[in-house]
Amino acid sequence: MAELAKNAADISMMPAEEKLVPPWKEALQSFYKNKLAVIGLGIVLFFIVIAIIAPWIAPYGFKDQVLADRMQAPSSKHWFGTDDFGRDIFSRILYGARISLWVGFFSVLGSVVVGTLLGIVAGYYGSWVDGIISRIFDIMLAFPSILLAIAVVSILGPSLQNALIAIAVINVPNFGRLVRSRVLSVKQEEYIMAARAIGMKDSRILFRHILPNSISPVIVQATLAIATAIIEAAALGFLGLGAQPPEPEWGKMLADSKNYITQAPWTLFFPGIAIMLTVLGFNLMGDGLRDALDPKMKQ
Amino acid sequence: MKKNTFKMLLVAIMAISMFLVGCSGKTEETGGKKEPASNGGSGSGSTKDTLVFGRGGDSTSLDPITTTEGEAFKVTENMFETLVEFGEQDTTIHPGLAESWEPSEDGLTYTFKLRKGVKFHDGTDFNAEAVVFNFERWAGGDEEKFPYYANFGGYKGDPGHVIKEVKALDEHTVQFVLTRPLGPFLWNLAMSPFGIASPAAIKKYGDDFRSHPVGTGPFKFVEWKQNDTVTLEKNPDYWQEGLPKLNKLIYRVIPENTARLNALANGEIDIMDGLNYSDEKTVTSNAKLQVIERPTMNVGYLGMTTTRKPFDNKLVRQAINHAIDKKSLIEAFYAGKAVPAINPMPSNIDGYNDEIKDYPYDLEKAKALLKEAGFEKGFEINLWAMPVARPYMPEAQKVAEIIQDSLSKIGVKANIKSAEWATYLEQARKGEFDMFMLGWTGDNGDADNFLYTLLDKDSIGSNNYAYYSNDELHDILIAAQQEPDKDKRNDLYKKAQVIIKEDAPWVPLVHSRPLLAAAKDVSGYLPHPTGSEALTKVEFK
Repeated sequence: MAELAKNAADISMMPAEEKLVPPWKEALQSFYKNKLAVIGLGIVLFFIVIAIIAPWIAPYGFKDQVLADRMQAPSSKHWFGTDDFGRDIFSRILYGARISLWVGFFSVLGSVVVGTLLGIVAGYYGSWVDGIISRIFDIMLAFPSILLAIAVVSILGPSLQNALIAIAVINVPNFGRLVRSRVLSVKQEEYIMAARAIGMKDSRILFRHILPNSISPVIVQATLAIATAIIEAAALGFLGLGAQPPEPEWGKMLADSKNYITQAPWTLFFPGIAIMLTVLGFNLMGDGLRDALDPKMKQ
Repeated sequence: MKKNTFKMLLVAIMAISMFLVGCSGKTEETGGKKEPASNGGSGSGSTKDTLVFGRGGDSTSLDPITTTEGEAFKVTENMFETLVEFGEQDTTIHPGLAESWEPSEDGLTYTFKLRKGVKFHDGTDFNAEAVVFNFERWAGGDEEKFPYYANFGGYKGDPGHVIKEVKALDEHTVQFVLTRPLGPFLWNLAMSPFGIASPAAIKKYGDDFRSHPVGTGPFKFVEWKQNDTVTLEKNPDYWQEGLPKLNKLIYRVIPENTARLNALANGEIDIMDGLNYSDEKTVTSNAKLQVIERPTMNVGYLGMTTTRKPFDNKLVRQAINHAIDKKSLIEAFYAGKAVPAINPMPSNIDGYNDEIKDYPYDLEKAKALLKEAGFEKGFEINLWAMPVARPYMPEAQKVAEIIQDSLSKIGVKANIKSAEWATYLEQARKGEFDMFMLGWTGDNGDADNFLYTLLDKDSIGSNNYAYYSNDELHDILIAAQQEPDKDKRNDLYKKAQVIIKEDAPWVPLVHSRPLLAAAKDVSGYLPHPTGSEALTKVEFK
C-alpha cells in the first residue's frame, strides 16, 4: 500500500515538474532582457569576486596602521587615501566587501530558513498554530526593524556575529508572512488534496509539494532583503553595535571618520559609495528577478 | 513597479548627496575663513562686559563641598574663595581669605590671620566665626554629603580624622589643631570644595544652599537654569579693588564639542572648553578665534587589573609596557599636545622622580618577557575604552585601536569593549576589567593626590581600579602623608614611583594639555591646571 502511494505521488508530481521547467527558462530569458537587472547582477558579481580575492589584490592589510601616513588624500600609493590610523582605505573597502556580503547572505539565509518553516507550518495547519505564529510576526513587525535589531544586539552583546543574528531575526516575519500566504493558496490545489487523499505524510506534503511551489516569491524577496540587510549591518556598525575594531566594516568606517568630514572627506566618501553600490546592485537584481518570476508582470 | 521607482529615486538621492558631501569639504573650508570676518565685525562692538562660557556638562551643585565633579567647580570658583589660593597657573600656595599663616614646628597647629573688611554676598561679615562654622558643618557630614572632606582623614568621630579642633582666637584669627601632621594640609585647604560660605545663608537655605550659593568671591549668583545656563553677576563690594572686570558671566551647556565650536564661531559664546585636537586647525585658521592651552596636571593611562589573569603576573604587565608606542599615539590623537607619561603623575608635581626611565618601545623585549612569563603563544583579553571624551583622553576609542594593534604584534588579542560612562566607572571600581583606559586630573597638585589616591591599597574599591596592592608602597605613602619636611617627603614619593614603575600596574600613557578656544578679544583668561578657575581678570579688549 505504501509502495502504491509512493508511486501515485510520483506520478502526480511528474506533470507538475514538467510544467515547471519552461517557466524557469522563460524567466531567465526575460531577466537577461532587462538591462538594469543585468547591471545589478554585474555589480553583485563584481563585489562577490572582490570579496573572494581581497587578500590577493589588496595592496595593504586591512589593519596595518602606519600612523605617520594618517589621513593622506587619495594618491597612486593609496588609491582611496588613508584613514586616521594611516590604514589604506582601498584595502579596507576590499576586505569590507567580505563582511558586508557575508552578513547580507547569511542573515537572509537564516531568516529565509526560519521564516519559511514558520510560514509553512502556520499556513498549512492553520487554527491556533497559525494564530500564535502570526501574532508573533505582528508583534515583531510592530517595532521599527532597526530598533528591534538594536534590542537584539544589546541582549547578545555587540559583535559582527550578533549583528548578523539580529538582522536575521528581524527579517523572519517578512518571509514568514510571505510563505504563509503562498501556502494558504497552494494547499487548496487539487494535487495537494490528492496527496492527502492517498494518505501521504504531512511532512512529505509540506516539503515535496507545498514548499517547491511556494518558494519563488521568496527568492525575489531574499535578493531584495540582502540589500536591506547590508544597510542594516552598516547601520549597526555605525552605531558601534556591529563589527568591532579593527574589522573593516563599511558602516563602522563611516562612523570612525565622521569627525573628519571637512578635513578628509575621502574617509567617508569611499565606504559610502561602496555601501550604495552593493545595495543598488542587489536592488536592481531583485527587481529584475521579480519581473522575470512574477507572471503578473509579464509584458 | 511604483515601489521600484521609489527605491531607485532613493538610491539616486543617496548617490547625489554622497557626492555633495565629498565636494563640500573644500568649499566649506574656504568659505569658513571669510564668514567669521564679517561676523566678528558686527560682534565685537564697543564695551562688551558679558562673557558666555560654553562647556560640555551642567553643574551638579553650586555648593562646592557637596560634589567632586569638575563642571561644578568651574562655576563655584567664581563665587567662593578659600583660605589659601593656588597660583594663577600652578599649585603653589598664596594668600586667599587668609592674609598669612603660621604652622607650628611640630606641624600640628596652623594659625591663620584672616583678611579684614571682606563681606559675603548677602552683606554679612566674613570672620573667624564663619570659618569655624564652615569647618564644623563639613566635619559633621559624611562621604555622601561632603565627599572631599575625606581628604582630612575622615569626619568627626572617625579615628583617622586629622582636624582635632578649629578655634576662633579672635575676630580675625583662626587656629587649626591637628591630631597628626598632614603634608598636603594647605593644598587641601586651597581646593575649590573648601570655599568659605556665608553661615547666615546656610542657616537660611539649609539643604537648598546648593542652589542658593553665597560666598565672598568676585561674582555673585543670579540664576541657574538646569542643563542650560548658570548666570553670575559682578560682586560690587569685592575686596580686590577694580576687580572683577566683567559685569556678567554666563556658563552655558552645549554637550557636543563640534556644536560648541560652531556656537563660538557664530559669536554665541566667548570661550569654550573641550576643543577636539582635530579641530585645532579650524580655530587657528579663523582670524577671530584663538586657541588656549590648559597647563597639564593629568595622566591618561592603560590600567591592568592586577588581580585578574594574566595581569597578576608582573612580567606580563612589563611586557605590555614595552609594547606600546606612546609617541606615535600622541602624534596621531593629541596632535602632539601631550607628553608621554613615565610615572603616574606629571613632572610639574613636587616629588616627581625624573631619574626613572620609561620602558622603551621594544616588541622583541616584550615578546621575551611574555615567553618568560609562560605566555609564549600570547593570550586574549578585553580592552575597555571610555565612551566619553575626557580632558586627558579626548578620543579613547581611537587610542584603544592603536593599543589593540600594538598588542596584536606581540600575540595578545585585545577585544575592544565599552560601556555607558557611569557603568564603566562602576565596573572599573569593582575590578571587572582585564585592561582599561582611564585617567585623572589632579585636584591640588600634591603627589599624594595621585599616588595614594590612585595606587595605594587603601584606595582599592575607590580610585585604585587596577587593584594594585603593595605593602611597602603603602608604608611609604602613609609616611609621606605625615612627613612635614618637604625634602624628606619628596624623597619618599620618589621612592614610591620606583616601586610603582617596577610593579607596572599601569602603562602610563600621556599627560595632555587640554585645549580651549576663545574669541580673539577675550584677554586675561588663564586656565588653571586643576580644571577650574575664577574669571576675575578676564576682559574684552
